[in-house]
Amino acid sequence: MSNAAFPAVAIAAPPPRVVIEVRDLVTHYGPREILHGISMDVLQGEIMVIMGGSGSGKSTLLRHLMALERQTSGTMRILGEDIDDLSLIEMTNLRRKLGVAFQGGALFSSMTVGENIMLPLMEHTDLDRQTMEIMARMKLEVVNLSGFENLMPSELSGGMIKRAAMARAIVTDPRILFCDEPSAGLDPVVASSLDDLILLMRDAMRMTVVVVTHELESVFKIADRVTVLDKGNILFIGTVAELRAHPSERIQNLLHRRPEDDTIDPDEYLRRLTGEDSLESTRP
Amino acid sequence: MPVRHEPWTAARMVERVGRRVVGAIEEIGHCGVLLGESVFWLVAGRRLRQPVRLAATFTQMMEIGVQALPIVAMMAATIGVMLAIQGIHTLKIFGAESQVVIGISLSVTREFAPLITGILVAGRSGSALAARLGTMQINQEVDALKVMGINPVRFLVVPALVAMVIMLPCLTIFADLIGLLAAGFYVRFDLGISMAAYVDQTIDFLSVDDVMHGLSKSAIFSILIAVIGVVNGVGVQGGAEGVGRVTTRAVVLSISAIVITDMLFAFVVTRA
Amino acid sequence: MQHEVTERSGAFVVALHGDVDLDTSPSARKILLECVGKRRPVLADLSGVTYIDSSGVASLVESLQSARKGGSTFALAAVSEAAMRVLQLARLDKVFTIYGSVDDGLARDG
Repeated sequence: MSNAAFPAVAIAAPPPRVVIEVRDLVTHYGPREILHGISMDVLQGEIMVIMGGSGSGKSTLLRHLMALERQTSGTMRILGEDIDDLSLIEMTNLRRKLGVAFQGGALFSSMTVGENIMLPLMEHTDLDRQTMEIMARMKLEVVNLSGFENLMPSELSGGMIKRAAMARAIVTDPRILFCDEPSAGLDPVVASSLDDLILLMRDAMRMTVVVVTHELESVFKIADRVTVLDKGNILFIGTVAELRAHPSERIQNLLHRRPEDDTIDPDEYLRRLTGEDSLESTRP
Repeated sequence: MPVRHEPWTAARMVERVGRRVVGAIEEIGHCGVLLGESVFWLVAGRRLRQPVRLAATFTQMMEIGVQALPIVAMMAATIGVMLAIQGIHTLKIFGAESQVVIGISLSVTREFAPLITGILVAGRSGSALAARLGTMQINQEVDALKVMGINPVRFLVVPALVAMVIMLPCLTIFADLIGLLAAGFYVRFDLGISMAAYVDQTIDFLSVDDVMHGLSKSAIFSILIAVIGVVNGVGVQGGAEGVGRVTTRAVVLSISAIVITDMLFAFVVTRA
Repeated sequence: MQHEVTERSGAFVVALHGDVDLDTSPSARKILLECVGKRRPVLADLSGVTYIDSSGVASLVESLQSARKGGSTFALAAVSEAAMRVLQLARLDKVFTIYGSVDDGLARDG
């Protein structure tokens, strides 16, 4: 219905909310500066993949995004809260909305799979034991590990451990799921099933997912947007399509797995090989 | 990067020593902070909805205490007999063998039982603690606790610390009894003093003070063992080999700390 | 979260309003199990539920199981799209009897 005063307007979808906001994040490991002023946003409902070579700082960035580390300077807002301002109880409440699947699974070896999955519930809720057990089994069903609740982590294969870790990460129905190298060390078939799980989290459970990975197949399969880090700086943030079309040589090298420019100066190389270089105190 | 070889100057050596000292002070600082945090969680945990886990504490008590009974018994008996042998041998010089009972009861309760039990528990449980925490640290299990909003100190450290502080004095009392008993058997065997007489003499001479002297030391040792075990465990660097390294380090440091504290305690208490 | 229990046609209709989540689901669970324990058909009216998470769904599952064991029925009515997604993810849409509205549910159950 429309009239002169209120012309029919196509209702646009509301702009996506920013669930994680990072501004000028600088962080150190001892005396070394690892991240040199990172600014980025993670949007509601997207799968954001963080890529970069080793030493790029991507693991450090992930640790900050999940509020595991305190930054040297800069601000971090998770779900609208500035994490530097939160009290212990407020922080604990925020953590219920975050889920993390670590690279090696990080399951507690002295507990069964079921107890591992129930742990966040046991520590932070007043739910009945029976309710928690049902929830754990529901999550095991989602990750295709039904019936495994009474096994110990040592009895699981690599792929199963990662899935159990994911079940634990999602047991509180978090708003944001973090995955650190989900497909590392897995064969392609199992790795692909984990990618499918991540897609399921976004689509069926409406989670925002932040993934750190270096597996390009995964990136192209699951990413909505990609952040590329290089030596502690952001090289690129954008969609996969934009990434593929990017003119920068560094980025294309990364995508096509080409090594860095390694032209050799014959003289210098020869001296290095024969050890004549080692007595010099400055590098040529 | 080309390698630099510098002359081994005195300045370099002083620098190394200085660095070591600063490192050691830092580590003692870490231990202090950990102890403070542990006390905090013991007291305030319930109110902050993160109470210390009783079940875990109980399991640790079984591990540290009950399972150590056989070996503590064996060591205490051996030490008791050894003290009797040495005591009699030495006092024979003065023809005062019958006084050996006094010597044994004082040495066992004041020194040997707490010291040997402490060293034993350091080797057994202190290493286990460092190894467990070190392994958890490399597996990112400690990180996992943190991201779940579970404070690792109250979840992992406090149960072990409380269990240690409760069980080590208990083990020491047990060691006292077994040690004195074993010594009594030897004294009966060598000097012919009857068990009844031996027990009478021991009870007459031994005061609650002596026993408490030993138990207070045990309590201090237990804190040292737990805290050193934890600080070393979580400071692990580099994989399974690293776990082995920190475990060894934890044992060596806690035993050293026990022995030094033992000496200081004896000095302070007897001179005060 | 608030709840309201009414008796209609010999069955209990438990209407839940608001968010059924980690903090509020225990009270939802309590009231549902109480009603199921009375051995009469129970219909959970979810039309007023703004958000339900796995803990809420787990409470529904428990109620269903308890009803089955006691020989009575437990069904859901007016399940929102969001709640349906949670049920489908856990493959529970095939397990529960789900009615479009409370009246439908009462008509079928009698």
